[in-house]
Amino acid sequence: MPLTLEIVTPEARVYSDTIDTVVLPTSSGEVGILPGHIPLLTQIANGELRVTKNGQTLWLAVSGGFAEVEGDKVRVLAEHAITEEKIDVNAVEDALKRAEQQLSDAQGIDPQQYERLQNLVRYSGVQLAVKRRRR
Amino acid sequence: MASTRDIRRRIKSVKNTRQITKAMELVAASKMKKAQQAALAGRPYAELMSQMLAALADRVEQSQHPFLAQREIKVRGIILITSDKGLCGPLNSNLFKLVTDIKTPAKYAVIGRKGAQFIARTRRQLLADFPANDRTTFADVKVVAEFMVQQFLEGNVDTVEVVWPRFRNTLVQVPTLMPLLPLSSLKEAIDGLVSDAGLTPASTPRATDSQMLFEPAATSVLEALLPLYVNRGLYLMALAAKASEHSARMVAMKTAKDNATKLLGDLTLEYNKARQAGITQEILEIAAAQFAA
Repeated sequence: MPLTLEIVTPEARVYSDTIDTVVLPTSSGEVGILPGHIPLLTQIANGELRVTKNGQTLWLAVSGGFAEVEGDKVRVLAEHAITEEKIDVNAVEDALKRAEQQLSDAQGIDPQQYERLQNLVRYSGVQLAVKRRRR
Repeated sequence: MASTRDIRRRIKSVKNTRQITKAMELVAASKMKKAQQAALAGRPYAELMSQMLAALADRVEQSQHPFLAQREIKVRGIILITSDKGLCGPLNSNLFKLVTDIKTPAKYAVIGRKGAQFIARTRRQLLADFPANDRTTFADVKVVAEFMVQQFLEGNVDTVEVVWPRFRNTLVQVPTLMPLLPLSSLKEAIDGLVSDAGLTPASTPRATDSQMLFEPAATSVLEALLPLYVNRGLYLMALAAKASEHSARMVAMKTAKDNATKLLGDLTLEYNKARQAGITQEILEIAAAQFAA
């Protein structure tokens, strides 16, 4: 029985397909989901989400969210998610540089801003990693 | 009667105005469509979140999370969502009327320049103002939500409420005040999400919830999910406010265009009359001169 995977963000439904397996980057390590998994609700960290379908592997970069496994349905609630082919390396590298610059410049900016920038850096890093793996 | 030259000048300027308002109407119409689509695109997210919350609510009897704690309300925290630009009919002033009715002590965070100006002008306490970009992204709204949540957690404000123009339809936008925090109960939050997703409440319960595995523990998942719930709520309202703004502008511009067209008709009539009168006058003069000769 194949799994169906659905990834939604507040802005759009990013991915929706039937797949063979998926590996989720949870806050306590990677979790591989095969058909017949027990119901699970877990927190997702910034990382690479790996989808296998018909022997082909697809990577997605996701950041902060939750995943739910229920029956043969896997659903991911993420703040950002992007498929590998949509990642624009140059744009991400620029954003990464800007954010890192801001991080090193701004000592003593408010912690929230700091956390936001760090998050951005991490997510950018993930996107680059996903892209590089492909090459 | 005004001279024909004056009327001609007037006609020209009214024509220009009509051109501009017509263009603005079309722009607003297309932007409105986009904003509505964006609001609809958030539905699957609301649906999934409601199911996750429902699964958690069964497991977690009582949460100590500060979002759920009821406390005495001394200072209300209000997020006011307005537009950056004017020319959108009574949209912003209707919101300001609602704000004026708030008599209890309150602190404000504002999205949009119009609102910031209003709060400053009426000497209310402004905590922060944020720009209202043309395209509302989740990241933009998240900054606002997190700022307000921070204030809430630090005790600067005891509630987080939102004043925004609720989008009813293209012609009607209802200024609305809605509490966001504290959440009175999880149940209510779930119901809100379900209706946002455009579902009926009956379609959500599932059988397997009881055997669900939580990683990490249910309580900590819930506590991580709640801030996301708040962010999403505000994001949805910001999108609705955007849709309202553009539709209000569209309607205002349509009225302006129609008025200009009507004025143009009147002016043209007057111009033709003046021209005709001039010609008649001239003929009379020529005829009189002939007689005299």
